[in-house]
Amino acid sequence: MAAAIQIRSVTKSYSRGGEALRVLDELDLDMDDATFYALMGPSGSGKTTLLNLVGGLDQADSGVVRIGDEDLAAMDGGELAAWRSEHVGFVFQGFNLLPVLTARENVELPLLLAPLSKRQRREQAERALELVGLKDRMSHKPSELSGGQEQRVAIARAIATDPQVILADEPTGDLDRDTADAVLQLLQRLNRELGKTILMVTHDPQAASYADRTIHLDKGKLGRIEDNRAGQGAD
Amino acid sequence: MPWKLLLRNVLGHKVRSLLTIGAVFVAVFLVCILQALTSGLTRTLDASAANRLLVQSAVSLFVDLPLSYQQKLSGVEGVDAICKWQWFGGRYEQDKGGFFAQFGIDPEPFLPSYPEMSIVEGSYEVFARTRTGCVVGKQLAEKYDWQVGDRVPINGTIFTRIDGRPWEFEVNAIYESSSPAFDEQQMFFQFAYIEESLEQGGATGPDGCGLYMLKLADGVDPISVQRSVDEMFTNGPQRVQTTTEAEFNRQFISMLGDVPQLLRLIGGAVMFAIFFAVLNTMLLTGRERTRDLGVMKALGFGNGVAAGLLIGESLLLCVTGAGLAVGVAMGLEGAIAKGTAAFIPGFALDQDTLLLGGGIAVVVGLVSGALPGLRAARMTTTRALQEIA
Repeated sequence: MAAAIQIRSVTKSYSRGGEALRVLDELDLDMDDATFYALMGPSGSGKTTLLNLVGGLDQADSGVVRIGDEDLAAMDGGELAAWRSEHVGFVFQGFNLLPVLTARENVELPLLLAPLSKRQRREQAERALELVGLKDRMSHKPSELSGGQEQRVAIARAIATDPQVILADEPTGDLDRDTADAVLQLLQRLNRELGKTILMVTHDPQAASYADRTIHLDKGKLGRIEDNRAGQGAD
Repeated sequence: MPWKLLLRNVLGHKVRSLLTIGAVFVAVFLVCILQALTSGLTRTLDASAANRLLVQSAVSLFVDLPLSYQQKLSGVEGVDAICKWQWFGGRYEQDKGGFFAQFGIDPEPFLPSYPEMSIVEGSYEVFARTRTGCVVGKQLAEKYDWQVGDRVPINGTIFTRIDGRPWEFEVNAIYESSSPAFDEQQMFFQFAYIEESLEQGGATGPDGCGLYMLKLADGVDPISVQRSVDEMFTNGPQRVQTTTEAEFNRQFISMLGDVPQLLRLIGGAVMFAIFFAVLNTMLLTGRERTRDLGVMKALGFGNGVAAGLLIGESLLLCVTGAGLAVGVAMGLEGAIAKGTAAFIPGFALDQDTLLLGGGIAVVVGLVSGALPGLRAARMTTTRALQEIA
């Protein structure tokens, strides 16, 4: 299987209190297409930074971040924004739905950037909500939904444009165990049934067990990569 | 641009939006009214006749000139007609809180000297031969529902009757005016009525005349007449000051200070205060929206959309407030014009005033939205998302 995501000698530093703090240090990593990855590591190990680089939200100081055929380092801010709208879906820990919009309008939001008619946008948003089991809640605002429902709406928004890659940053961090399991099962379905490549940052080993592979980062460097598929019970 | 989101953001904070719209409404309404008053003053001055001079005491407008001056003034070359103007300063018996100007005049030269005045009801000829008659402006007649033939009791404050009763005037004619410099809330009666009452001992009051109006013949240079008149009374008994009607009106208005400048300063100060209020609201809004804007950028919306949402929201609030203000000001224009006619006859909301009100709102909206908008555009997506935590 060809690598969908290639990370080559990526370095990223931040300035903290006048000192440069190297968060990712010459990192090399390949991730396959249509695979569900969990990204684990202690705080400050560079998980979210890596997620941001893969999602085109930030750029590496050096090295190559290649998603499919696209070299993200070669893109400017506008090009990255346009690329994100087509190729990546984001799921955040705090759901990050826009509170003034209904569930359907939240899901429609990224579709505004696609060349679709109003009707097409509406149909596509409804399909995404149906896929996450929330078609009957599409007229509700986020404040009228439970945490689990909000996160499912956020997942519907992430898949509305049918991106190949879904990036999830602690998607179950704010949810109870049962709700978290339901959300993780949903992500697993998206991977298995729709062939999405998923990269999920998590601190929770049980959440990571839903992934095909677990990548461990430590101090900005790649640790071990676990294959979870052999003993995977969750489904 | 996600217009629905922009609208929902405005509607999402109803109280804040209403307060901001209300603040802009009050400010733009006030600016429109103040500007209309300023324009009214200017219009009044501009509409003043160039062929009429006014002669007053050089000491003060409140010092009367001798009646004998009228004869002397009639000999000045270039003067076509002379008419007395005597401020009466009375109070209408039925409306003690109300105020309108009453003047004693000479009927014969008066009407021909003021072509902007036209009689629309009753008869000026009847007025000219009725000692207790009066001519009233149309707006004044409408205000008190006076008809031709009605008797109007006025209590004198400068000229008082010995018997303690009010002066009685009979409405003989009603006039309209085609000039903002000559308002329709005045009352004119025969100067001779006061004069005779004083002579016969039926009333007390000053025995001179406040002003003489000189109507100039066609083609006469007003400056040469002004000079001649002032020189004529250089050695007294009472020195005079002769001015054009426009200059007289300007001096009259400036007795209260530089009114137009004051009005502009008030309007400017109000707009600055509102600008800071709207800016403060939008800065708070921008901070609150950091999360939403970060998410939108992550979804692929550009920096321009992030800034545009805040600028659009600010513009929408300001333009809504300004639109309401302009609408209400236009609706109240007639009532305000009537209320201010006695002091500023030219009050009118012209196109420039309305455009000024709207323009100010647009500028305040743009600048107030641009500052948080610029911050939102410059902020990186990762930083905006980090602020969530």
